[in-house]
Amino acid sequence: MFAGIDLGSRNVKVALMDEKERLSLHKFDTVAFYRQHGRLEDGQLVVDLAGLGLGAIELKSLVSTGYGRQTINLKDAKNIPEIKAHVTGAVYLTGLKDFTLLDLGGQDSKVVKISKGRMMDFETNDRCAASTGRYLENMAAVLDIDMEELSRHYEDPVDLTSTCAIFGETELIGKVVEGYSTAQLAAGVNYTIFKRVKPMLIKLASPTIVFTGGVAQNRALLEIIRQELDVEVIVPENPQYVGSIGCAVTALKEV
Amino acid sequence: MEKIGLTTTIPVEVIYAAGMVPVDLNNVFINHHNPQGLVEEAELAGYPRNICSWIKGMYSTVMQNDDIGTVIAVTQGDCSNTHALMETLLLAGVRVIPFAFPFDRDYDLLKLQIEKLMEALGVSWQQVKDAQKRLNKVRQRVWELDRLTWQQNKISGWDNHLYQVSCSDFNGDPELFGQQLDEYLAKVPDMPEIETQIRIGYMGVPPIMDDLYHYLEERGARVVYNETQRQFTMPFNTDDLVEQYRLYSYPYGIFYRLEDVQQQIKLRRLDGIIHYAQSFCYRQIEDMIVRQRLDVPILTLEGDKPNKLDARTRMRLDAFIEMLR
Repeated sequence: MFAGIDLGSRNVKVALMDEKERLSLHKFDTVAFYRQHGRLEDGQLVVDLAGLGLGAIELKSLVSTGYGRQTINLKDAKNIPEIKAHVTGAVYLTGLKDFTLLDLGGQDSKVVKISKGRMMDFETNDRCAASTGRYLENMAAVLDIDMEELSRHYEDPVDLTSTCAIFGETELIGKVVEGYSTAQLAAGVNYTIFKRVKPMLIKLASPTIVFTGGVAQNRALLEIIRQELDVEVIVPENPQYVGSIGCAVTALKEV
Repeated sequence: MEKIGLTTTIPVEVIYAAGMVPVDLNNVFINHHNPQGLVEEAELAGYPRNICSWIKGMYSTVMQNDDIGTVIAVTQGDCSNTHALMETLLLAGVRVIPFAFPFDRDYDLLKLQIEKLMEALGVSWQQVKDAQKRLNKVRQRVWELDRLTWQQNKISGWDNHLYQVSCSDFNGDPELFGQQLDEYLAKVPDMPEIETQIRIGYMGVPPIMDDLYHYLEERGARVVYNETQRQFTMPFNTDDLVEQYRLYSYPYGIFYRLEDVQQQIKLRRLDGIIHYAQSFCYRQIEDMIVRQRLDVPILTLEGDKPNKLDARTRMRLDAFIEMLR
């Protein structure tokens, strides 16, 4: 078995792949994962894979990526850069060689231009998480709706400035007071994400966008990108696992 | 000997001609045991949070060093925030001499600026020319260090940065600095090779974090060209001091700077360019032009606080190196 682990800010994603490239995917809460399954040994994180409840695994190779690797190295794992993991996963899952990857994760926004299967250029969000999953969760909580409901609306959006993920909440509450409908407010929130990533998508434009990360489950955002940029938007199955799948593919190929 | 502070590279020959000791405030700030503390001190004094850390660091550096009673502030060609830095220093009783690099590189205007500086410090052209000869002896050895950096694999990007960036003030003692350089150069033949495959060019102001060069080397990439730092060494063949500072690219427009960068990309066979811009600096806007004009992959880096790379920047560097591999 070959394993890929994506140590994300909100979730740790594990992708297991056998020789026949059959995948099994698993997700853990990041903080719980570190607390329950990890221990430090000589400054490296050792994960008790057996304890994860994934069944009996005979592990041949392990590749990891994600924010965690900047602070802690996973023992016995080969670490690969996050953007590389996502690109590898997206190329593997879609079979495409020329596209723009949009990955919106827990706190990260990434846009990568891929040409002939190679990464040509990339952009990431700067010092704010106002185009990420965490932002959407906060805004949904303000509106007292779930993520599912939030991701239904893209028509007639209220105008939000979205300069900051936290000030955005105050602004949104202001709009609630002004009497806008939940549908309009939710659409406005989804539009702020688009406005944030739009310059990056235009700078690294392609006719096809592969949209990954947890936020890719937001169907409204997908619709907004499709309409506003007049592009084809492809969301692979299980979009939040693309980084971990990229790691598993790397583990398989490099052994 | 009287010390005189500099906000960036100026015709330092004039200061040496006057028998004074130049102190590049940037170097003192960044070598302080707690540079972030200096930034915070300036913020407590009232400097806004969204102003570059270099300006705040320089302010606190002058405030903490009573022996720096005069500061030469570059009011054109470097940073417009220097205006306000100058004003707050005046408020604190510091003597300020403004210096402006003419935007269009006009010879006569530049000469006038240099002569005004000479007048302020009471020196003659003969004295300045003598100082120029004295400094050029040291500069030539730094050029040699730079040549070795890109022609061999022994000198680290950091050492290249450090010796070149020090040429703004020669650490206040050109002869001692020259001696240290000679000692370093003597060791180069016995130094082990640095095993990296990727050749990086660094453009923009010197980075506020000092671990960038080491981090790149750890990951298999090495900086073999430091644009601004190299410019600080005045790598030009001219005896005419005014012409020397006219050829010096850093304080002038981006298009003139890019000519130099383009030449060096070819000469030094660079795989990619890191374009560094300080947070809140107007030079961040110029990234648009850099990206349009240069034909190599570019990573735009933004530095904010002093000293260490943050996790986000490390992630971006990893991806960039991977892309060039």
